Amino acid sequence: MDVSSIPLLSLLKERMSWLSQRQDLLSQNVANADTPGYSARDLKPVDFEQALRNVTSGNKVAGTLAIDDPRHIALRPQSGGVDDGGTAGFGTNSTGSSVSLEDEMIKVSETQAQFQAASNLYAKAIGMMKTAIGKTGM
Amino acid sequence: MDFTTSMSVAASGMRAQSERMKVISENIANANSTAAATGGDPYRRQIPTIKSEFDRQLGATVVAAGKPLEDMSEFRTQYDPGNPAADKQGYVKLPNVNSLVEIMDMREAQRSYEADLTVMDATKTMMARTVELLNK
Repeated sequence: MDVSSIPLLSLLKERMSWLSQRQDLLSQNVANADTPGYSARDLKPVDFEQALRNVTSGNKVAGTLAIDDPRHIALRPQSGGVDDGGTAGFGTNSTGSSVSLEDEMIKVSETQAQFQAASNLYAKAIGMMKTAIGKTGM
Repeated sequence: MDFTTSMSVAASGMRAQSERMKVISENIANANSTAAATGGDPYRRQIPTIKSEFDRQLGATVVAAGKPLEDMSEFRTQYDPGNPAADKQGYVKLPNVNSLVEIMDMREAQRSYEADLTVMDATKTMMARTVELLNK
């Protein structure tokens, strides 16, 4: 048994990689804040309740393929995809890009806080397992 | 797609903004540079340009400073017959630099630079949190 097959840990791993991808898009938005014609992008939020259900109930979810042979390849859970512009903002600024720095800053700090929460939960889960196997987490 | 990509993109933004600052400071420094010869043209204001390009290696849209364009608006003139660069009527052509415009542009560049810096800081914190998991 491998650590990443534990539902809670794999869920947190997914969460952290989603947040890291979002951070990537946000940094592209901020860097291109003064590029004429650039439109801001963001990741569509993933339905985490659904994702949690997928992870905790194995792979038996509508829309995914059954895995009953070790040679089958599991499909990755659907990530939300990229939301191309279209978000209600302040329209375009004087340089002709639709990036609002205030919005982006809020999103960046949101992502940072959520990442912190996920990594704290991960550490707590590992700590609980260490307690169970009798090695105190120091 | 990892945190180093975010850092590189933010760094490209900072590089482009500092390039923009270079052009702005050239404009401000040359705000009074007249022509070397009589009746010649003085310093012409440069307009910093910024463009985005897709970096295949990073898989992200980075930003770069483009070639500065020349501002073709009219020069200011001043009556100063004693000036060696004055024309026959005694008028000297001065650069078409408006320091108010330049300072506003400078503030904008500064604000964008700060935003890039904030993103970099946030990404660095997230990276540090991940590394900290090793200590637990």
